Amino acid sequence: MGSNISGSAYALTILSPIRNGVVPGQEIAFADKVRDTLQNWNLLINSPMTKVPQTYLCRYFVLDDVYTQSLPGGSALDTLIDFLPIVPDSLRKWAMPTEDHLQSRYLVFSCNFHGGPNGDVDGYLQGMWNAISSNIREVWGYCYGFEKVHDAASFATYMKQCQLTASLFFVGSNDEPLPEQLKALYLKQEFARFAVANQGLDAATVRANYLAFSQRVKPTDLNGPTWVPGQYRL
Amino acid sequence: MFNIAGKSYAMNVITPVRWYLAWLNKVIFYAALKIPSTLSGLITLSLIHYARWVIIGRNQFPHMAPEQPREQLKYSYMLFFSNFNGSWDQYVDSFTFSIPGGLDMFWKWNVRYSKSVALTPFHRYIQYNQLETQHYYNAYPLAASNDVKSAKTVKAALIAFDQELRKGTDAEFLARYNTLLRGLQHDMGDMYPTPIVSMAAYQLERRHQRHERQLQELKAAASEGGV
Amino acid sequence: MTKQLDLLDIQGNVIRAYGRFGYPVARYVFLNIRNAARARTFVGKLTKKVTTATQWGDGIGQVKKPVWTVNVAFTYQGLKELEVPRESLMNFAPEFAAGMKARRDILGDDGPSAPELWDPIWQENRETRDKDVHIFVSLNASAPGWPANGRDLIETSYEQLELAWQWLKDIVAQHGGGVVILGGNVGDNGALLDYQDCKVVMEQGKPTAKEHFGYTDGIGDPVFEGVPYDTDRVNGRGKQLENQQWAPLATGEFLLGHIDEAKEYPPAPNPVLLSRNGTYMIYRKLHENVATFDAYLDEHGSKYPGGKELLAAKFVGRWRDNGAPLVKAPDAASKAVFDKQLAVADKEGQDELLCNFTYDADMSGAKCPFSAHIRRINPRASLQMISEPGDPPGSLKNSVGAFDTPGALTNRRRVLRRGLPYGDVKDRTRDDGNHGIIIMMLNSDINRQFEFVQQQWINYGNDFKAGNDKEILLGNHSVDDRFPSKAVLQVEPTGNDTPYILSKIPRLVETRGGDYFFVPSLTALRMIAKGLIDPT
Ligand code: HEM
Repeated sequence: MGSNISGSAYALTILSPIRNGVVPGQEIAFADKVRDTLQNWNLLINSPMTKVPQTYLCRYFVLDDVYTQSLPGGSALDTLIDFLPIVPDSLRKWAMPTEDHLQSRYLVFSCNFHGGPNGDVDGYLQGMWNAISSNIREVWGYCYGFEKVHDAASFATYMKQCQLTASLFFVGSNDEPLPEQLKALYLKQEFARFAVANQGLDAATVRANYLAFSQRVKPTDLNGPTWVPGQYRL
Repeated sequence: MFNIAGKSYAMNVITPVRWYLAWLNKVIFYAALKIPSTLSGLITLSLIHYARWVIIGRNQFPHMAPEQPREQLKYSYMLFFSNFNGSWDQYVDSFTFSIPGGLDMFWKWNVRYSKSVALTPFHRYIQYNQLETQHYYNAYPLAASNDVKSAKTVKAALIAFDQELRKGTDAEFLARYNTLLRGLQHDMGDMYPTPIVSMAAYQLERRHQRHERQLQELKAAASEGGV
Repeated sequence: MTKQLDLLDIQGNVIRAYGRFGYPVARYVFLNIRNAARARTFVGKLTKKVTTATQWGDGIGQVKKPVWTVNVAFTYQGLKELEVPRESLMNFAPEFAAGMKARRDILGDDGPSAPELWDPIWQENRETRDKDVHIFVSLNASAPGWPANGRDLIETSYEQLELAWQWLKDIVAQHGGGVVILGGNVGDNGALLDYQDCKVVMEQGKPTAKEHFGYTDGIGDPVFEGVPYDTDRVNGRGKQLENQQWAPLATGEFLLGHIDEAKEYPPAPNPVLLSRNGTYMIYRKLHENVATFDAYLDEHGSKYPGGKELLAAKFVGRWRDNGAPLVKAPDAASKAVFDKQLAVADKEGQDELLCNFTYDADMSGAKCPFSAHIRRINPRASLQMISEPGDPPGSLKNSVGAFDTPGALTNRRRVLRRGLPYGDVKDRTRDDGNHGIIIMMLNSDINRQFEFVQQQWINYGNDFKAGNDKEILLGNHSVDDRFPSKAVLQVEPTGNDTPYILSKIPRLVETRGGDYFFVPSLTALRMIAKGLIDPT
């Protein structure tokens, strides 16, 4: 049960335990350093992830701890004991949410990418290493077990050991390769402009214009013109 | 931290499940996958690029080195990740308004889940258990899920249309072109400039404007250097 | 489950759009508080005269319909100056505390709508303490004796309005500088006035429900539980049910202290008596660029296959002359039939014709386009839509049963609408005259209702599968030539028509000011006036 694959989209969920301890020579915990490094990525002109092929959307964060539930609630078991006419105090206490804590802090990387029908997670991770290994080292370098990583293959192996399986993966938009999606977005924007500019013109002109348009936008050419990954301006 | 990238918001929610009930939750997710009607509300809402639910057994947190202390958890955990369009309120509200039953079905096994109606306790439940995103990357920040889907429709239609560009008279061409427009009448929405949906989105927009200026300066410097 | 509201505790403007009840003119006055104690006595004095929502009658023990009405509301600063306890203040909605100006990016008040260009009273508001708008007083006047008196309606009602204004000025004067009336409302020829005047648009000596672009307005308005005189108006105004019936919306969508559509009491400040039967009001002065509107309509009307009047109807979703809804009268032929029916219908029948409709049979927008004013602002059940592989290209259909209730995405986004047009159009070839609409929206959650509609549905189109395309009439259309605004007027997907694209849509409506107000109940007004509010 559960699958990371939906169509050709892949749901990669990574929880990498971060070392407990202090960065040598600095008064900062490893996990806080990771967080600070990720924070710096926000100040760059664009994310390092623009360079990783086939990435649709992804996020990074540091999981400090789990939350202890203290709000009132009505979940399936929370109120069950109330069916007893008299609730012994021991049972009441037993039914209270307990306090839970993590022993390590985790770097969470949750990524949606195009992996094809068979979910080529190795290919994706190796592509990621090849594109941004220095950024990878920057954040994963403080994680347990990362010392075994020295190339694309060992990175993929490491990541798969940190991987969790999705119980349900919902794809609400599109599972085509990223270059197809970006090209499509480019075409959509360009076509809307064309439609506006050519409204009401005579047939021969529209046709001539369309021929020129089609030659310019090259609908089947993924190399260009198109949008670049992470493009936030037209 | 930043939860927003263009038109998308990254939500992370972590909630405890009694470990002996986690399997039940998995069965429900499995059923949701197999019975398409359970997801028809989500599909109709059309606000999500990708979303996932991950159940981590209390003994399943990755253990990567002997020196890493072992987790000793009492609960299993459910992680929910979503990439949605719009503001936090819009998303949470739209879900409780349109598919309250579906939300309850997925979450009711979680300790002290609030139920999706009434709204305020549900808001509080999500807020309480949300984890902020540190860095969020979106390959198409200008596009909502609807835009991505309609772009796919446009692309297929244009490629098909190209096959017949040179056939027939101009008048016949125009008739085909008009049919093309009719078929794409819900797919021509603009994607830029990005609307400001929250005060955080406003901050993000200002950051992009700064980056834009930096880029222009870099370009200018490069072209000066080239002369 | 019929519930009866305490109409004597609710301010009249919350429940009644006075224009519809025979009050053709109004004056909105804004005051600044200079002395808390005296301002409270002033509020107490006002409160005695405040018009409630009670049913009017001439019988014994009944409240007579007043010749002129008084209503009052406060900004966040106003409540603070009146010394409402801090703990209560902190529980008001954050956007109410921040005010309209601070929300400019959310509301899309940019370019010609930017606060720097608002009327002086609104520019200066929330900048320096002595120019802050604290209290809002609205005066609406009727025209006793008209038309029997043979005189002009507006003239007759203005006489009454002047009396009301004099009364207000007198009690301001009696409170020895405790409050002052703020000037800076722009009137004719740029004059700066101590009030904002409004009046219905007249045609051939008769009052109309028209606004300055020529549309018939004031038809659609939510109906909610507990208003005895609205029970026969629920079709098309309440919420749409699965079985094609209509039901009144939950009271809590519009009044604090009552259960809302999420089955809870909307978030509200403590104590309960401060908030119950009160609500939030959004006041906006919207200038109408009549010359730009006419020119744009002429330009495209001459090209649009259905002609100019149909095109005008496409902007709003209703025909200009009589408000016939496009979903019932999508073209000239069906409009002619509709007009005949309307002409012979009685009052109730007319209301049914004009109001009782859904978009269920127009899911692709061929009749009423997705960017039309009323479809954007109240989409009814039409957001439960989907297209599936194999459907005709360009079509959308109802995703039956996908949502908890067909109006799931709409029922919590409704706003009550009050207000009137202001000014006269003296020269239709110019934009810069004094003409527009004062619109007041009332709802129990500014952010969830008004701001959401303004931001997501007016200035953005994603929920309508329209990308960034904005609502035609009100959208903050781009002033950047590189990214012109457009709207697509959809056609029948299986027919032979071509969708028409409205290109380079200009700014038709500009914001000239406004703020967020709290409209207390009568009980709360009395408590505020006495300085007796205990939030603990
Ligand atoms: C100058 C500005 C505006 C003009 C000219 C205008 C005009 C109109 C017209 C002609 C109608 C159709 C008649 C009717 O159904 O009552 C209408 C309906 C409506 N308008 Fe506006 N309006 C303006 C601003 C606004 C604003 C700012 C809002 C709120 C955000 C708003 C909310 C509504 C609502 C709720 C309806 C009724 C929709 C329904 O229930 O079907 N209007 N307006």
